[in-house]
Parts: sequence; structure tokens; C-alpha cells
Amino acid sequence: MRPSFYNHLHPPTIPAAQARLRYTLGAGGLAVFLTLVVGLTGILVTFYYTPTPEQAAKSVQELTFLVPFGWLMRNLHYWSAQLLILAAVLHLLRVVFTGAYLPPRRLNYLLGLSLLVICLFMDFSGYVLRWDEGVHWALVAGTNLVRAIPWVGEGLYSALVGGNQIGAVTLIRFYAWHLFGLTIILIIIGIWHIFRVRRDGGIAVPPPEIRSDQARIPRKVLARREGLAMLWAAVVLISLAILVPAPLAPGIQEGAASVSESLAPWFFLWVQQLLRLGDPFICGVLIPLGALLIVALVPYITPQRLSSTELGRWFPRGGRNVQILVAILGGMIILLTLLALFHH
Amino acid sequence: MYRHFFIASFILFMASGLVFWQQNRSPKPVGITPTITGQVEYCLTCHADLPEISQSHPVETFGCVLCHGGEPLALTADLAHSTLRGGANPSDLSVVEASCGGEMCHSGTPQVNRDHIQRVTTSLQATYAGAVAQVRYAFSAEPDLTARMGIYAIDGLAAFDPTAESSPALQAFGSNCLSCHLSAQPLEAEEYNRWSGCSACHSPAPREDGTLVHKLTTSMPYTQCNACHNRGNYSLSDMQFHPREDAPTDRLHDFYQPIAEFTRCEWTLDCEDCHTRQEAMGDGHIYSSKKDIQYVRCRTCHGTLDSLPLTYTITDENDLALRLDFLNPVVDLKLGDTILMTDKGEPLWNIRVIPGEEGTVPTYELFSKATGERFTFKPVMGSTCQQKPDQQEARYCHECHATQR
Repeated sequence: MRPSFYNHLHPPTIPAAQARLRYTLGAGGLAVFLTLVVGLTGILVTFYYTPTPEQAAKSVQELTFLVPFGWLMRNLHYWSAQLLILAAVLHLLRVVFTGAYLPPRRLNYLLGLSLLVICLFMDFSGYVLRWDEGVHWALVAGTNLVRAIPWVGEGLYSALVGGNQIGAVTLIRFYAWHLFGLTIILIIIGIWHIFRVRRDGGIAVPPPEIRSDQARIPRKVLARREGLAMLWAAVVLISLAILVPAPLAPGIQEGAASVSESLAPWFFLWVQQLLRLGDPFICGVLIPLGALLIVALVPYITPQRLSSTELGRWFPRGGRNVQILVAILGGMIILLTLLALFHH
Repeated sequence: MYRHFFIASFILFMASGLVFWQQNRSPKPVGITPTITGQVEYCLTCHADLPEISQSHPVETFGCVLCHGGEPLALTADLAHSTLRGGANPSDLSVVEASCGGEMCHSGTPQVNRDHIQRVTTSLQATYAGAVAQVRYAFSAEPDLTARMGIYAIDGLAAFDPTAESSPALQAFGSNCLSCHLSAQPLEAEEYNRWSGCSACHSPAPREDGTLVHKLTTSMPYTQCNACHNRGNYSLSDMQFHPREDAPTDRLHDFYQPIAEFTRCEWTLDCEDCHTRQEAMGDGHIYSSKKDIQYVRCRTCHGTLDSLPLTYTITDENDLALRLDFLNPVVDLKLGDTILMTDKGEPLWNIRVIPGEEGTVPTYELFSKATGERFTFKPVMGSTCQQKPDQQEARYCHECHATQR
């Protein structure tokens, strides 16, 4: 067998149990596909975007209204990005609720979690690049949150914003993060994450000795399933791109007071709701970091209760502790998000 | 498996078809790059059927966004109109400086006759300072009739706040009687329909069916003024507005109804033929009563037994009279023409000494600003008029010349 890149990624056969849609939900693969789409469409829209405060929103409008199929590329970029966050979260929940974080997959779990964090920052930095009234408040509030961190806050703010107030330099820095800084990190950790999947023996299922279902599928069948999933995902993406355009708003006017709605992007609404409770550092930085820490510690919370015989199915009894913990955390985040929407 | 592929591919194919359909559906952008801004704008993609607003604001020079605001590159209505100044009316006084202002436009210097915004915003029609002073004085809130408050604070006037008044009559005044100044929304009925700001006078009111007329004009018939000045009377005793109840069928009875008697020119001509720019738009100073700003008299055009009306000959090609004639070409004014002038030097550009009929007692021709109709008249001097030199108010002329309604 020739060692091609494709063959390297797809083993000659894999256990059928690993490829069941009702087990994996296809969430990880979906995230890979969406990353490719968001990256490709991102490259395309870069040709039309101008990263200056005066021109940014105008260039986005030009792309949307004047460039043939520009609207399509922008909407695909927007929707693939938002669905990527959802796919990544779904994948995380699948991993937690099927116990797929047990050794040897602990490192990969942490790699995956950091990918989620990077994707959230990529989504936020891309959001800011619109530089219009729809993002104005979130930009100010988000960067001010950094300032609230004791001791290092001012320094971090200065590094993030490029000075002591938001301006042209801020836009260039967010542009650099979105196109290069975060992207390079995402690619490196992403490749490592996918490599680790193979190194750790593929998608988590019970070891062959105790596996009830011994069926295997050849790489051809796996490839067909992947292809079909990509087709369906493409249908959903294009439909969304046609039916629900990405948001547009008038550009931020230099010197004018912010006239935007005070609403965070949807994936940070829960943080906005937390901020209503009190001190910005505690509610806006510490608590979210605490939630992240809890999720990161999942592989280390009573792992001895879960054995590899329970792998391959949803809600294994041995993982009950972390399942309840993560379910409560997830429920709280959803609740905070809904509260933020109704509050508005 | 293959069936799934077929279905998924088919749906994807249909979706791609939808993409091309959507792209074709998008309006083909129609752009203009106005010479003043140099920035391309695409408003005409949807608004191509709008007529030119006036001969002094050609769209190739001004475009749309310079006056109206809005997003020049947007092709969806919501986004394009999201930053419009003043909604459909950029001349509303709250945004007029941004829309109509500028040194080369309408907030320049008096010397070049470009100080319209300064004059209008301090005028009685905008501040309503006269009415406020009179009513507050009537109810003992002021010691005299000097203007101290206006609808908004400007130039020494405070903002009139009915809720801060102790007298219930003044609070009622605030609720019932403030629908006729330039920032007010008109009462809800066809006869009161008008815009606010500059367009209250200079733009035709929205039509009966709700469609709008895209026009700026200096040719305003008396019906334009009717929306505020001819609808009825306010009563101080019950602090209510009483709409007029008659249903006039001719111009004499439809014309400005507070006055019971008119001379023929007063109801044949339109308001703007006599009421000059300073009278209507102010001269930049705060006045306490319209009597202080209205100064045109019968003798302004007709002169007295001893003196002809004031005139001057146009020698400067940048003369205001020529500019005003360009805006409303009812006369063929040119350099060398002699036109009438008011006491304050305002040109009565539509009234000219008939060329060739100068003589000791010239004949004058007047062209109606609203219709262009030509009238000729001779001055008082050399006629059999019985007037006394110190009795020059309208009521004296009315004794002989007025028509009773």
C-alpha cells in the first residue's frame, strides 16, 4: 500500500462501532469540514477587505453588494464559523458524555479544549473586523474586560488594543490575530489533535477483547460516509447563506459616541449576563475561566470509576460524576444566554 | 448508500441553483460619483425614478448622501436607510446643520447670503418666541412682552417647558397650541399636512395618497403657507385651537382668513410676493413679535406721493437677485435691469421697472413668484391718491382700496 496522505489519514479498516453516527454524531468530522470551509472562504474575503477604520465597514458592504457572489462568500464564512463553534461544543459534549477522555486520550482532550477556546477568539476577532455599529459595544466592553484583570490588566489591554484607546491600531492587531496569529496556532494544534486521534487508536471504543461488535468497515466505506456528511453539511451551509444573511450595520464613525445595541456576540452572551452580577474581573474573567478549568479537569475527576469496558456508548455509569457536572455547567451557560437575550 | 449520495447531491445542486438565482435577483448596482464628494453612491439603483430635486441641487454634483446621509454602498433598504438624517426629511431642524449646512451651502456668511440656517433657527417661525412671550405674559409668568423662551434654547432664549409652568393655562398652552412651529409635527388631517424644518415651506407636502414629492422650490403659492397660517384661530380663553369652519370656494375667501379686508393685490398675489426672505426666515436676531420683523408696507412697492419706491440697477453678475431669479425663473432678469428694493436693501427681484418706460413716473411690472403671471402698475406719485404722508399703515390704504369679504 502506497503511503499517501489520504491513506495515512484513513486506516485500511476501522471498527464499525467507531463510525456509527448515533455514537459520534459526526461532530468532530463536521468541525474539520467547517474549519476547511471557514478557512477557504476566509481567504477569499480577504481579497476584498480593507483593515482601516474608515474603510472596513465600507469594504464589507462592497463585498456584499457589489462583488459577484461576494455575499455568498461572506455568508458562508459567517455561517461556517458559527456552526463550527456549535460543532466543536457538540463534539466536546459527545466526548464527555461517552467517556472518551480516559487515558491515553487525556492530552488530546486538552488539545481539543484549547481548539475550542481558539475558535471562540477567532470568532470574536472576526466579529470585530466588521468595525460597524453592530460590534462597537462588544469591542469596547470586551477590551475593557481585559483591563479589569489586576496587575497585568493595563499591560494586556495595551498589547491587545495597541495603545490606551481603541483606534486604527486596534483594528490592525485584530486583523493580524484573525488572519495569522490565531490561525497558525489553530492549524498546529488542529493537526496535532487529529494526529493524536490516530495515535490513540482512533475514536474511543472498547478494546477488541471485550468489544461486542467486531465488525469493521474498509476505508472506502468510511470515505463515502465522510463524503455524504460533507454534502449534507454543504447543503445546510448554502441554504443558510441564502436565507439568513450575515449581519451588516453602518460603519463606526470616528469620534461619534457608540450608537450600537449593547449586545455581545451570541457565544459570549452568557458572559455579558454574568457581568450584570457584579465585579467585572470576578464575573467576567474569573468565573468563565473557572468554568473552563472545570471542563479541562474532567479527565482527572474520578477517572478510576470509569473503565474502558464502558466505552463506546453514551452516558456510561462510571462517568456519572463528570456527566452531571458538565450537564449542570452547560445548563447554566444556556440559561445565562437565554437570560441575556430576554434582558435585552 | 448511493441513493443517499444521489439525494444529497441533488439537493446540493438545487441549492447551487438557488445561489445563482439569488445572485441574478440582486439589483444591478447603478452608481453615481457626485463631483462634490468624489465617493460613489448607489442610491439610484432603487431610486432612479426620482426627479431632480431642484435646478440648484443637480444630482451629478451633489448626489444623494451629502444631504440625506444613509449608507452609499448598501443595496438593501434597511441598511441603506439606517443612517438617514431626519428620516425622509433631512431639513428637519434637528439635523439641518449636517444636511444643509456648510460655508459654501446654507450656513455660511451673511455677506454672501448663505446664512439661511442661522437665520431660520433664530426666526419666530422656528422659536415661536413671540407666541410663547405673549401667552406667558398674559398669564403673569413674564413681566413684559420681551421674548425669553423658545421651543428650543438658542441665542439667549431658554427652552419653554410646559411641565415646569405653574399655571394650568400655560400647561394647556404647551399641550394644545404648539403644533405650528418649524420643529412641530403637524396635526393629523389633510389640511395641516406639511414637512418640518426648511421643507415646511420649500417642499410640497406629502400627497393625499401618502406618496412624497421630491422637490425643493422657492416658488410657493399661498396654499403652502395655509397649512399653518390659515387653518383657524387659537383662543386664549379656553386654550384651544378652533379650526376654521367655512368651506371657501374662491380664492378671495380661501385666502388668509384672519384679515377681514384685503386690497386686490393682497389676495391676487401670493404671500411670498410681499413677505421677503428676511420677513419669513428672520435676519439672525431674536425678536419678540412678528411686528418687529415684518416691515414691508404698501409703499415698499407703490411709493408715496412724494417718493418713488426704492430701486437699484443690477451691475454685479453675482447679485442675489440674479441668483433668486435662477431658482425661480419667472422674470428674464439680466445685468442692467432696474428692480425694486426694500428699505433694508432686500431685492424685490420679481418687480422691475419696465425697460423703456422709466421717465419721471415709471411703470413697473411684477411677475408672480408662484404662477409667473405678469402685472403692471404705476406708483402713487403722480396719481390722485388721497393719502397723508404720515399714514402709511395698511389700514389707511384699505379705507379706499380694500374689498370686504
